[in-house]
Amino acid sequence: MIVRVWGARGSLAAPGPATVGYGGNTSCVELELGDGTTLILDAGSGIRELGQRLLEREHGELHICLTHLHLDHVEGLGFFAPLWRAGWKLRFWGPPSTTATLRERVSRYLSPPLFPIGLSEAPAEAVFEDVPHEPWRIGSAVVEARAVEHRGPTLGYRIEDEGAVFTYLPDHEPYLTASLDDEPQWISGWALAAGADLLFHDSQYTEDEYPHRRGWGHSSVADAATFARTAEVRRLAMFHHDPGRSDRELETLYDRVAEIVRHDQEPPLIAREGLEIRLGAGDGAAPAGLGTRTDRGA
Amino acid sequence: MERRQPDLVLIVARSFATKLATPTLIADARGDLVYFNDAAAEVIGRSYLDVGTLPASRWQELFRPRTFDEEPLKVEQTPSGVALLERRPVRGSFAFRGLDGREREITVTAFPLLSRPDELVGVMSIFWELPPTP
Repeated sequence: MIVRVWGARGSLAAPGPATVGYGGNTSCVELELGDGTTLILDAGSGIRELGQRLLEREHGELHICLTHLHLDHVEGLGFFAPLWRAGWKLRFWGPPSTTATLRERVSRYLSPPLFPIGLSEAPAEAVFEDVPHEPWRIGSAVVEARAVEHRGPTLGYRIEDEGAVFTYLPDHEPYLTASLDDEPQWISGWALAAGADLLFHDSQYTEDEYPHRRGWGHSSVADAATFARTAEVRRLAMFHHDPGRSDRELETLYDRVAEIVRHDQEPPLIAREGLEIRLGAGDGAAPAGLGTRTDRGA
Repeated sequence: MERRQPDLVLIVARSFATKLATPTLIADARGDLVYFNDAAAEVIGRSYLDVGTLPASRWQELFRPRTFDEEPLKVEQTPSGVALLERRPVRGSFAFRGLDGREREITVTAFPLLSRPDELVGVMSIFWELPPTP
């Protein structure tokens, strides 16, 4: 599979000269699966540009897996071009609720007064489903979703395709659930990340900021690195960057993450718009399935 | 790598219990005791670190629960057992022998932990030791 980042910012889009290197768009990651299926993780503002790219191909079916419905993860939907073109089928997956269907919850944003046009007016066929309790198949991949620690119902995803595993935990505060360096089965998200080839993990706060924001649903960079070490992931990518964090500040935080990850792990990454990583079969250049990095952007 | 892990609701319940000063016990959907906090250890007579996970089948032999009239109670008759098997909150009092050999009387409030309306993942039991009868 190929992992492409279209938005790695957290909480609020943050364009401007200070963030041009890693990008200001909010969470959106495209997975191009081995059989050609397109799986999209979250619909932050980064999904707008992805939508334009998708229009270059014949219409078809897209799978959009939402971790949760905070605005920074759905705000791009209204500007996602395939939603406004007949012939496209969009299959949305998201967290279950006891009070409203996924369609009803997404429609709260895609309807007046928050948005001028209602979801029911979209020409594309949009199907909304709660994630299954057990792993399920999307194209050539096996997808697993589990509830993880964040404010409100929130999922993490583990996608296995072509013999490689990608784990996506963009909004996650495992520190609240257990000590991050022992008893792994009691750490939120551990089973999703265990042994993954690549983990995108919430890295919103500095260690100095975190004590003042504990319980807000996000992690410090040190906790992200410790979690990745405990879960024995091959490579960690810092994700969900704080909107106030400049490119230079992110690179300073990277040094701290690199100190914490294990020596036998691949060097960590800072997720940025345009980052493209190939995982699994089809990448002959990298050992044991972990692909090379191609800089497409910035 | 074995990736088995409890449901998030059970993980969060356990985390909550670690922070409580009230004696609290967490059982999973099978009734196995998967955690009790330090305050509960005072009443149970040993720490969780010493005891570890206890299968439901061993509760009876270890704690010997009984009514205040000395009638033996099956585990399924205790508040934790009722909450687990009948999926409802319940409050009750009974006597038991702590793991330090001391007899105790407690009042328990137990409630089922549901991650979805039809999915039981465990039981949380909060309890108080009753003062010794004169």
